[in-house]
Amino acid sequence: MQNNAALEYDYTIAKMFVFSTILFGIVGMVIGTLIAAQLAFPELNYLLGEYGTFSRLRPLHTNGVIFGFTLSGIWATWYYVGQRVLKVSMAESPFLMAIGKLHFWLYMLVMVLAVVTLLMGITASKEYAQLEWPLDLLVVVVWVLWGLSIFGLIGIRREKTLYISMWYYIATFLGIAMLYLFNNMAIPTQLVTGYGSWLHSVSMYAGTNDALVQWWYGHNAVAFGFTVPIIAMIYYFLPKESGQAVYSYKLSLLSFWGLMFVYLWAGGHHLIYSTVPDWMQSMGSVFSVVLILPSWGSAINMLLTMKGEWNQLTENPLIKFMVLASTFYMLSTLEGPIQSIKSVNAIAHFTDWIPGHVHDGVLGWVVFMIMAAIFHMAPRLFNKELYSKSLVEKQFWLQTTGIVLYFSSMWIAGITQGMMWRAVDEYGNLAYSFIDTVTVLHPYYTIRAVGGLLYLIGFFMFAYNIYKTFASGKEVDGSTLQNKTPMSA
Amino acid sequence: MFHWLEERPFFFAVGVFVVIAFAGLIEILPNFAQASRPIEGLKPYSVLEIAGKEVYKKDNCIACHSQLIRPFKSETDRYGMYSLSGEYAYDRPFLWGSKRTGPDLHRVGNYRTTDWHENHMWEPTSVVPNSIMPAYKHMFSNIADIETAYAEALTVKNVFNVPYDQDINGDGNVDVALGSWEDARAQALKEAEAIAADMKNQDVKDAVARGEIPEIVAIIAYMNRLK
Amino acid sequence: MNDIYEYQGYAYFFFTVFLTLILYGYIIHLYRSEKKGIRDYEKYGKMALDDEITDKPIEEKSEQKKSVDDTDEKPKEQ
Repeated sequence: MQNNAALEYDYTIAKMFVFSTILFGIVGMVIGTLIAAQLAFPELNYLLGEYGTFSRLRPLHTNGVIFGFTLSGIWATWYYVGQRVLKVSMAESPFLMAIGKLHFWLYMLVMVLAVVTLLMGITASKEYAQLEWPLDLLVVVVWVLWGLSIFGLIGIRREKTLYISMWYYIATFLGIAMLYLFNNMAIPTQLVTGYGSWLHSVSMYAGTNDALVQWWYGHNAVAFGFTVPIIAMIYYFLPKESGQAVYSYKLSLLSFWGLMFVYLWAGGHHLIYSTVPDWMQSMGSVFSVVLILPSWGSAINMLLTMKGEWNQLTENPLIKFMVLASTFYMLSTLEGPIQSIKSVNAIAHFTDWIPGHVHDGVLGWVVFMIMAAIFHMAPRLFNKELYSKSLVEKQFWLQTTGIVLYFSSMWIAGITQGMMWRAVDEYGNLAYSFIDTVTVLHPYYTIRAVGGLLYLIGFFMFAYNIYKTFASGKEVDGSTLQNKTPMSA
Repeated sequence: MFHWLEERPFFFAVGVFVVIAFAGLIEILPNFAQASRPIEGLKPYSVLEIAGKEVYKKDNCIACHSQLIRPFKSETDRYGMYSLSGEYAYDRPFLWGSKRTGPDLHRVGNYRTTDWHENHMWEPTSVVPNSIMPAYKHMFSNIADIETAYAEALTVKNVFNVPYDQDINGDGNVDVALGSWEDARAQALKEAEAIAADMKNQDVKDAVARGEIPEIVAIIAYMNRLK
Repeated sequence: MNDIYEYQGYAYFFFTVFLTLILYGYIIHLYRSEKKGIRDYEKYGKMALDDEITDKPIEEKSEQKKSVDDTDEKPKEQ
């Protein structure tokens, strides 16, 4: 590669994905807030006829935020961070540039088709894997394109060693590829028999096996969609924004392997009743615990990175977003294992505590981190100052309030309902009919909807801030972009 | 040795893949053969019931209803006998659900009737005051896709050897007949007529008389089957 | 049927022990190579900070490899 003095990073594709992140964020969260309100006020189910019921809209919400917002966010940051830590520009390879564009447009096509088919009720009805087989095939193509982009860029890199964020992006790519392929195995019925709709397929697995595969997917898709790539982001953006190198790079490497080892072993307790000797079963559990230790490293590493620089927390709202995100990461990774204890699970399963748990993870950790990343990137993408610092501050407090309302109400709702389902009267008969356990939740559903609304308003403030940065922010001098993101008051 | 791996993205990726794939192999594969065995005498779904299951999927009932009764006294008191793995042997996909905004439905056929479902789907609060479930009136006018349901039955019969057109309980008769598309359509219509006879909605009765099967009839057939 | 559960149990046990040993071996490797001065892992943390395209890479990808026009040593799509 010749030493071209004018060579610069090319953010064309990063910008496209920033746009889709915001677009799908709005779509997914508007629907989310609507369906939260439907549970408190059922009349809201009839706004769109057949297409507006809670049940029809829920997959749209989950797919919108997972495969729309989060994936876009992952890719927006990939097309930004990837170039920077490998010290190579997309502009150096017209091939990778074309792949990137194809990646974006094919992905948009899949999303549009997903929205249409889900609204029509064309679904495989496996949670977070609802799309029917022709769309699944397109998803695979999109994924392969991303793989080409990752390994292509790695192939032309200048930096020999891969930064830790790269490790996490690669793991995301591989993990989701494996999970998605196996879980979506299905047989198109029309191709086999010649009858009926060509869109329809029947799952390759039946009953309990289907459940095993689905929740192997469901749980680990969370690992590789909501944890691994978000850690990739925070390992880049927190050090860059604060000007502090990662507290311990060695710890970050260990945590990576720790996480890879542990996450997919969460199901080890299936084997507790097997016929292997008792001591071996106990030792198996002990070693699993020993494996966990390195996996806690990431969050601690992030907080320690800020050591001696905590004043930045008050001065820089982006640091606030990222530190709170790490905190929520720790909270929800503590909450998850608690819920998987057998006796706790007996109460928590099937209740609102589960959506509560998911949402303190996604609202507090995933969305906060992605928004912070976009706040950091925007001035660098557009060479403009971030439009308004005070708006960022206001958004932060509004959304934090929203999250607290959300998870506290869902904790109470979940435990209340779980206890009422099992409550018995003095004669040992069930104390409550099912509908009693529904009506009692009305206040909590209302609080949750309000919490969601606050969060949604915050997201609109975020979108407005980014739009104004792009449309009318002050031009910045490139030299001020080294660390702290420049912001107008 | 470790650093060698860190410098080679390809082998690094292979390493990551081995680590994440192995856990899945050990956890899932050994249970496969056992978990897929049906309980004795389990009958496959009729074509009409499959069409009903498709309506269940289409309107995404699993967003709020589970089909999995856990082995706790509070659950068996409320919903009946706890669920067995072999009962799901013909469920593709499984429809256990993960959230009970509404009650479990795995044995709803034991304690609800065609008539109750008809009222409930038209206006849930008419039979369950304060219910937050939306009405599904469109099921009374939308026509169920029987042909696709037939395609599904034929597929599982041919590919997974699901026992259609066989004597399952040993009484010398075929338990669930599938046959050709014409046979299956006639059979589905016959089952639909039996259900429509218990219903009071005139549009539904008229549709069935014309030879069309509204979604509500199919989903009631499916609900009644869940026992 | 019980056989398969037994194999599963043994495989689970030995693989977990194996992974734990590898992981703790890795910890020892990281600290020992730093102590012996073979490799300072902490310098890689700078990659996020000095990431302008004009910044000098922490470790240059070797020149002769570079000139083979980008296809060397690169994994193809799997």
